[in-house]
Amino acid sequence: MVTDLPPPAAPLPAAIRIADLCFAYHAKPALQQITLDLPAHQITALIGPSGCGKSTLLRCINRINDRIPGARITAGSIHIHGIDINRPDIDLQELRRRVGMVFQKSNPFPKSIYENVVFSLRLSGIHKRSELDATAETALHAAALWDEVKDRLHTRALGLSGGQQQRLCIARAIASQPDILLMDEPCAALDPIATLKIEELLHQLKKQYTIVIVTHSMAQATRCADHTAFMDLGRLIEFRPTLQLFNTPHHPQTLAYVTGSFG
Amino acid sequence: MSKTDEVPHRFSKQGFSLEKAIRFFFASNAGLTIVILVLIIAFLLKEGLGFFPGYRRELEVYRIAGLEFVDLSRSNLTAHEQLSSVLNRAYFAQINGLCASELKRSQEAAAVFNAYSERSAATHDLIVSNLDAGIAPDSEMLATLRQNHAASTRKALAELPATPHLTRAERAALIQSIATREVSSKDDPPLVTALAAQYAAAQQTHAEPLAGLRGTLDAFDAAGTDLSALVSEMTVAVTATKEAIQAGDVLEKNRTTLVAAAAHAKTPAAREKLLADAQTSLAAKTDIDGPMQALMLRKPACIAAHADLRQACAGILDGLPAALSQPEAERLLRVARKAIPAFMANLEQAPQRIGQWRHDTPVPLTAAIGSFLTGKDWVTGGEWQDFYGILPLLVGSLMISLVALCLAIPAGVGAAIYVNQFASRLEQAVIKPVIEFIQAIPSVVLGFIGILVFGSVLRDISQFDSLAWVPGFPIEERLNIFTAGCLLALMSIPTIFTLAEDALNNVPAAYAEASDALGASRIQTSFRVIIPAAFSGILAAVLLGLGRVIGETMVVLLVAGNRIKIPDFSSGIGAFLQPSHTLTGIIAQELGEVPLGSVHYRALFVVGILLFAIVLGINATAHKFVSRSRH
Repeated sequence: MVTDLPPPAAPLPAAIRIADLCFAYHAKPALQQITLDLPAHQITALIGPSGCGKSTLLRCINRINDRIPGARITAGSIHIHGIDINRPDIDLQELRRRVGMVFQKSNPFPKSIYENVVFSLRLSGIHKRSELDATAETALHAAALWDEVKDRLHTRALGLSGGQQQRLCIARAIASQPDILLMDEPCAALDPIATLKIEELLHQLKKQYTIVIVTHSMAQATRCADHTAFMDLGRLIEFRPTLQLFNTPHHPQTLAYVTGSFG
Repeated sequence: MSKTDEVPHRFSKQGFSLEKAIRFFFASNAGLTIVILVLIIAFLLKEGLGFFPGYRRELEVYRIAGLEFVDLSRSNLTAHEQLSSVLNRAYFAQINGLCASELKRSQEAAAVFNAYSERSAATHDLIVSNLDAGIAPDSEMLATLRQNHAASTRKALAELPATPHLTRAERAALIQSIATREVSSKDDPPLVTALAAQYAAAQQTHAEPLAGLRGTLDAFDAAGTDLSALVSEMTVAVTATKEAIQAGDVLEKNRTTLVAAAAHAKTPAAREKLLADAQTSLAAKTDIDGPMQALMLRKPACIAAHADLRQACAGILDGLPAALSQPEAERLLRVARKAIPAFMANLEQAPQRIGQWRHDTPVPLTAAIGSFLTGKDWVTGGEWQDFYGILPLLVGSLMISLVALCLAIPAGVGAAIYVNQFASRLEQAVIKPVIEFIQAIPSVVLGFIGILVFGSVLRDISQFDSLAWVPGFPIEERLNIFTAGCLLALMSIPTIFTLAEDALNNVPAAYAEASDALGASRIQTSFRVIIPAAFSGILAAVLLGLGRVIGETMVVLLVAGNRIKIPDFSSGIGAFLQPSHTLTGIIAQELGEVPLGSVHYRALFVVGILLFAIVLGINATAHKFVSRSRH
């Protein structure tokens, strides 16, 4: 299917190489033979109808699926910067520090804004005040939240608005200076203005990070993503630069989806 | 349109529908609970608040009858007696400490013989009674009895207590002498007698160098005689006055009742009769001034007796040895030495206090309230004077709760954290029901397990010489604050465990996921995210456990030892190994025996109100934490 498509015009260095990946919850297959190269410093959107496996694929990349009992990769591999992340000797904690994740529902800890941002630093045993302060400021700046919260860093994070909370989660994820940022429908629970802010933020962030974003909104994919992958029923149907995928889909299923006749 | 021909709209409900009935049923259930709660509170307040005026009158009688005056002298006399007792204990502790080996040997030999005597008493007594009672002893029967006795002797000798301080040969000789003992013999075995004599001789030897101290102590003991005689004499007088006043109070109450009845009488004749009765009831007016004047004449004698006592005791500190070699004796000596300055200061102030005391100083209501809240004595049903001071009970309750919480928080919260965060499914399936099962044990059952097993085992353990360094060991009382606290901890663990586990469970899974995604390890996620997030819930669990502990009655009644006294904190942590009474225990113990409506009865109600307020406060605080922990 995908394999017979022409490669992107200018080949980019791939940050994440997914090869022939099959994944199952207990005996129920969720992903089948996914092969996908995600280019570095680009935004890749995963789209597709509900239950198509796009979130599962995303969650394979930082192995957060390991939390779910019975969930496992049955075949294939994922390489990040050339390293197989499913090797038994992989330091899972280090992997997750390199691959940050932002969830659909914002989930700041019931701590202060500051403590949320420096959480990953504290995990690595960094307690030097100056270092924590510097990281907190950088991360909040990067998440375009600094100006809004700089005067109340030590107030409860749960007192922020939904959009602010989500940006706080982004700040928290990038505080450990990952290479890759995974986003699982980060705007699903947000109003249009907050969504717009996050999307602007994504454009800033892609200079530094490779971003993979799962979204339900095709409009969002067209607005933000450099590349888009369309999935259905656990398979990758089509993966191309975003404009090409939406304007001239190769696959009839993709056409049906992007024109709104199903999904 | 008039009301009669108003036709209901076809959508409007008609009649009393089933839905309404069901609604009403549940509403009435809820309403009933609230009504009952309000009634309980109203009843508690009604019965309890009458306490303070009643207690005020009792304190007033205490003053106008002169009991207070006598207590001014008596308190010094009691202090003198206590001091004297402590010093004598130090003296004997010193002697017994020096002849500890003789004492132990003598005790062990006696213990062996006693154990044997107890076990073989039944068969032994049968032979003796058959021989004594003049019944012609049937030789065949006697032979059987002797045979039985021999068997029980063998059995008893097989399980004698250990004798670590006797030599093997001595033990063997002792057993031999017991085994060959004549049935009719009334003498102790020779070794027992010999060791007792050795002990007595050792006591005498060690007493000789302490003769000087003995002399000082005897002089000190004797110094209180005059004051003691004076106090007993006055006691008789003031007790009579008090009884007269109380009788007068009863008559006065009768009179007011009769007058009140007269006001509501149905016929004029009945009213006349009631009023006449009221008049006669009034006839005997209690004379309190006469006895009081007689009592006041003793003032100079009291003052003189105090001065004498002070003079006699003045040299006591110098008369005591600088140090005693035995640790227990030294400890007691230190206790006495610490108490002496206060005792002397009180003696010094006594003449002034006695001189200034007046029987007609009014007793305000606040005095009664203050005496209740800060009184160190809870004395009831005594012949002298009842005091209702809450402190000993409150301190007992709080100390027991402290012990219980110190044990139950780590156990309950720790188990909850383990089960919720680290346990496998199998472990969860075992641990949870087992801990919750503890709740199914009725507290009275737990109480007697506490007495028979826990209390005894703990005391036996505390007797080991090698554990003497533990503060408060060896334990004197089997039933004490620590034992009660341990059992209450056991009772509150399920509460704390279940609620804390719920609190941990209620932490949204999103937190754990977020923490994992940030690269936290399992332990980091638990201790940095889950447990802090559940913190207020865990705190609420602990508070509800505390509420349960404070309100628990049966276990403390059975196990706390029920001594109404503020524990002696001079022994430090050892105070927790002393018996105590509690707010709950006192109600359970005394409410059944007090006359309805008496001051004592009302005092128990006030204790109940206080308890209610404490538990309500704890639960309200817990509630606040629970609502804060909602995520």
